[in-house]
Amino acid sequence: MTCTRLLLIVFTVWLTQPVAQALDLPAWLRLPKLPQSSSKEPVKLPSKSVRVGDFTGGTGTSARRSLLAELTDSREFTLTDSGADFLVTGSSTGGRVMAKLERADGKVLFERTYAAPGLDENLRALSDDIIFSATGKPGQATSRIVFVSNKSGTKQVYVCDSHGRDVQQVTHHTHGAVSPTLSPDGSAIAYTSYRSGFPVVQVLDLGLGWERTVTDTPGSSFGAAFAPDGQRLALVMSFIGNPEIFVTDLASNTAACISDTVGAPSSPSWHPDGKQIIFADDRGQGPRLYIAEVPATNNAEARLYLWRTGYSFCTDPEFSPDGKQVAFVARQSDGAAIVVKDYPSGKSSVVQTGGAQHPSWSPNGRYLCYTQHGALYVHDLHTGLRNAILGGYSTISEPRWMR
Amino acid sequence: MTFLKSLSLAALVALSACSTLPQEDADVVFALGPRDGFTSPLNGALKPVCPALEFTGTRYALTGAHQKTLLGVAEAWKEGKPRYLIAGYAPPELPEDFARSLSERRAQAVRQHLIENGIEAAQLQTVGFGHDSPPSSPTSSVVVIYRQ
Repeated sequence: MTCTRLLLIVFTVWLTQPVAQALDLPAWLRLPKLPQSSSKEPVKLPSKSVRVGDFTGGTGTSARRSLLAELTDSREFTLTDSGADFLVTGSSTGGRVMAKLERADGKVLFERTYAAPGLDENLRALSDDIIFSATGKPGQATSRIVFVSNKSGTKQVYVCDSHGRDVQQVTHHTHGAVSPTLSPDGSAIAYTSYRSGFPVVQVLDLGLGWERTVTDTPGSSFGAAFAPDGQRLALVMSFIGNPEIFVTDLASNTAACISDTVGAPSSPSWHPDGKQIIFADDRGQGPRLYIAEVPATNNAEARLYLWRTGYSFCTDPEFSPDGKQVAFVARQSDGAAIVVKDYPSGKSSVVQTGGAQHPSWSPNGRYLCYTQHGALYVHDLHTGLRNAILGGYSTISEPRWMR
Repeated sequence: MTFLKSLSLAALVALSACSTLPQEDADVVFALGPRDGFTSPLNGALKPVCPALEFTGTRYALTGAHQKTLLGVAEAWKEGKPRYLIAGYAPPELPEDFARSLSERRAQAVRQHLIENGIEAAQLQTVGFGHDSPPSSPTSSVVVIYRQ
């Protein structure tokens, strides 16, 4: 009893010691040191600055305001009032926009007129032109995201802009249409149609409105992806008695098999050099990622190899626009997760867990769009913040951003 | 001498075993013929010829139970020689494109086995719906053989 009391007194005395002394604990009692810096890098400000000068004309004031909003939203520039690297001036009358972009040294980079029916449409085009001229990277104000929704009762293809606005239903097929992809210039959509009751790949020209069937082969055909040149499609066809990845030339209507598998290949995606294709293939151990080289000529040799990711059950890979990273879906304990890994080798990071599916890169490589629990998200890879850009469309699946 | 005898006997046994090695024919993959005239289950109610073949996980190899069912299908085919459409389906939790490929692969595995059991390749077509349209069976990870 006395011993317990003595211990209690010692403990109370130790507790009432000043903090400075309390830090002199024996080594075995010390807490592990916390890392000095957080693993997240601070967000850098854009290096280039732009000044939006006066816009004359009837709709000049609103044009200037909208352009400022677009440029702020792009996060490519710092907007200043003096000492900027670039200067934008112009005029706007009745929705038409005339604009001039100058460098700080006075060199005029472009002077253009935008005469589309809507003021907002013109300013998005202008904003993308400014970003492209100043940074060399494509803007995404005019880019489109294509996706599948079963809002109408069957799966149909829809298209929206990068903010989830301006949603349009593209297909109205009785048995549905799935697996869409946009051509690099955004003028055409390739998708799998169940119009005849069997899966067939079709290409729809959004500008002219015509539609044509690319593959009406027996078996299934799906998973089309436009090549960077927009003239070829990579897709899965099974008429040879096994599903394989084919590259088909849209001009000559010929197809060549580039995979050599006895498994279940899916989701081909092109490297921006147009010479490699990454796809998921299940050869009996769950889907893993493979790289196939596209032979330049008929008799050229091409390699096909497994790309080790360190994750299991990898599907839906897509190369980043610069070809230095691959985003894909891997299976983890709490469901599907989106992983971004350096290509051909390097570090990998999990971007989103908890059932996120089907990642697709923005044209500038800064954002990823994906679906999670039926909603469409855009994820900023620089800040780690994400936005649900589209909900209320029943279950959204298979989003793909214009490349 | 006894050693030589036993050696020659062993060699004989080994050589005779050669003739029973698996034939290369088993690896032949039969390309699909034209699809003209085949009806999709999406366009009308088709009658399944046997209970739906259920698969587990992401497997596409046929089990003993599948092979037993398919043997019965191949026997029944010989009367009348009808055309069959083999349709694969996959559960909704799989990624969309992978589900289409896996369901097609399963349908092709069933087709291959039916051909090996005597059904003419031209009478068989496959299709993989993934989880774009639900099957008529209560479970979704199945292959259904429809009579045309």
